[in-house]
Amino acid sequence: MPTRQLVVFLGLVLVLLLAILELVRRRVLRVEYSWLWIASCLTSVLLILRYDLLVALTELVGAVVPTSTLFFLCILYLALLCLHYSIRISDLTHQVKDLAQEVALLRVQLRDPPVAHPTIRGGVASSGDPA
Amino acid sequence: MSRELLITLPALNEAGNLPEVLAGLRARWPSAALLVVDDASTDTTAAVARAHGALVAALPFRLGYGGAVQTGIKYGLRSGFAVVVTFDADGQHDPADIGPLVEAVGGGADLAIGSRALASGSYRGGVARRAGRAVFAFLARALTGLRLTDPTSGLKALGPRGQALFAVSRFPDRYPDADALVLARRARLTIAERPARMRPSRNRHSMHGGVGSLGYGFNMLFSLFVAATGRDLHHKE
Repeated sequence: MPTRQLVVFLGLVLVLLLAILELVRRRVLRVEYSWLWIASCLTSVLLILRYDLLVALTELVGAVVPTSTLFFLCILYLALLCLHYSIRISDLTHQVKDLAQEVALLRVQLRDPPVAHPTIRGGVASSGDPA
Repeated sequence: MSRELLITLPALNEAGNLPEVLAGLRARWPSAALLVVDDASTDTTAAVARAHGALVAALPFRLGYGGAVQTGIKYGLRSGFAVVVTFDADGQHDPADIGPLVEAVGGGADLAIGSRALASGSYRGGVARRAGRAVFAFLARALTGLRLTDPTSGLKALGPRGQALFAVSRFPDRYPDADALVLARRARLTIAERPARMRPSRNRHSMHGGVGSLGYGFNMLFSLFVAATGRDLHHKE
């Protein structure tokens, strides 16, 4: 790989890596979501520094040019990321549903408490129940 | 209020039907607790339900039929009701049919289902819906070994064990139909069926109606597969 290319790509990947680390440090990005990004950055660094590994990988999977291998890896990585998000969204859907149901059940209790609860009686009485 | 019987009605924009439905239930079941689960209606469903003496669990946003019906079952489970009956708010169920279901639960069933197919002269829906029901009844029978004629029925009575199963977070919450029965069978619940007459729904936007689509069929087939072969509902990651 020509030196100019090497410097440019290595620089880009390092900036991305630093950005991710900073996002985690600022607690914008959660740690458990950062590892996939960090792993992809480190893979890129490895493939940039050791171009022969990419060539070997290309021969291994039977691709013709190293570029195709790189694109294939990118797409595979993005697909995995989507799957990861789908799993998280499924999980969140259950949690949001449970929370909504909790809100509805608490609303029943606020209006029609099954037994007068000493700790909330004052609050409920003072807020006034129109029903 | 007695902790014997809770009748829960998932309702989406049913302000027009609720007065008659609630009056009918109250006349037939004076000591039962009535809980309307308002699935984020845009009309006065909640106010009408309260005005007619029902408790109201108002969801903050729409969950759909399964999520709404599960809210009512959770309420019954936590309040310790002996029997929870799920009843459609659109007036298609008959309050008199609750009796045999409650008796079935009293007699040891964990889950009793009101079946259109067992009742003579009941409205059974259009051709497409009847065909769909027949397919799912056949699959439910093949998967559970039970002769269940109407797995899509929204009229059910649940004993404590039935309530506990239907309240699990990962229980099918779109339209708990044949897949729910398969799960109930896997959980070794005792399932019973009693005849129930159904009238055509008066609300075109009925929560349980209008789903005779292809998408629903495929979803249910897949959900059945998951119910029959999937991991235990209580499995924690």
